Amino acid sequence: MRKEARFFKSLADETRLKILWLLSGTEELCVCDVIDVLGITQSKASRHLRYLYHLGWVTDRRDGLWMNYRLCVPPGSPGEKLLKLLKEMLASQPEAQALRKQLARCLETKQHTECARRRKSSQKMSLQELPET
Amino acid sequence: MKAETEFFKSLSDETRLKMLWLLMAKEEICVCDIMAVLDITQSKASRHLRYLYRLGWVTDRREAVWVNYRLSVAPGSPEDRQLKLMADILSSRPEAQALKARLEQRLAAKGQSREGAAVCRCF
Repeated sequence: MRKEARFFKSLADETRLKILWLLSGTEELCVCDVIDVLGITQSKASRHLRYLYHLGWVTDRRDGLWMNYRLCVPPGSPGEKLLKLLKEMLASQPEAQALRKQLARCLETKQHTECARRRKSSQKMSLQELPET
Repeated sequence: MKAETEFFKSLSDETRLKMLWLLMAKEEICVCDIMAVLDITQSKASRHLRYLYRLGWVTDRREAVWVNYRLSVAPGSPEDRQLKLMADILSSRPEAQALKARLEQRLAAKGQSREGAAVCRCF
């Protein structure tokens, strides 16, 4: 039953809890967003994101120097159910709401930064790659 | 968000996970049964049970030198939902089923040896 304990351990760390909370409110996050919003070092952010990656909570997408992460919990899976519980618990939490707001601000100001420019250009590229219907 | 982290930490330890799983199967369990079924020392069993007690997962009832524990989780509470999720995951695990079987064996053996006495005679 070690595996199951490890599954619950994903949320037993405040940083990972916050990361999952942020990811559950947006499609994709760059490591740099997590660093900015949570005010933690790059090594700490990457370590926890890799932890979540290895346990199957998130998938990654490399974009130059930075890594982007998004949730990958299939509907009806234990992960999705646990995340739903977390979201309900945090929905009325001022601290959790403040984090979401901070993330929104961070993504807005980032529009002019290098990371966001890259993101835009990669979006354009992926649009061009779509087959014409 | 520290409180929520603490909440999720309860199930992040294998021993505590097993304890909650066993407690879900029975109304009340003595520390000695948990020690025997999980094959752990008294100090380890008591430490984890006190941890669960402090966080409000269980209540205790003293009986001579032993302490009995039972779940104290309000229906529909986050704790209750987390337990149900855990039970969902574990119900298909052979290891978890084996633990329940061991608990039944242990209680059956104890029932015979105690011959209807109301006290726990654990050794």
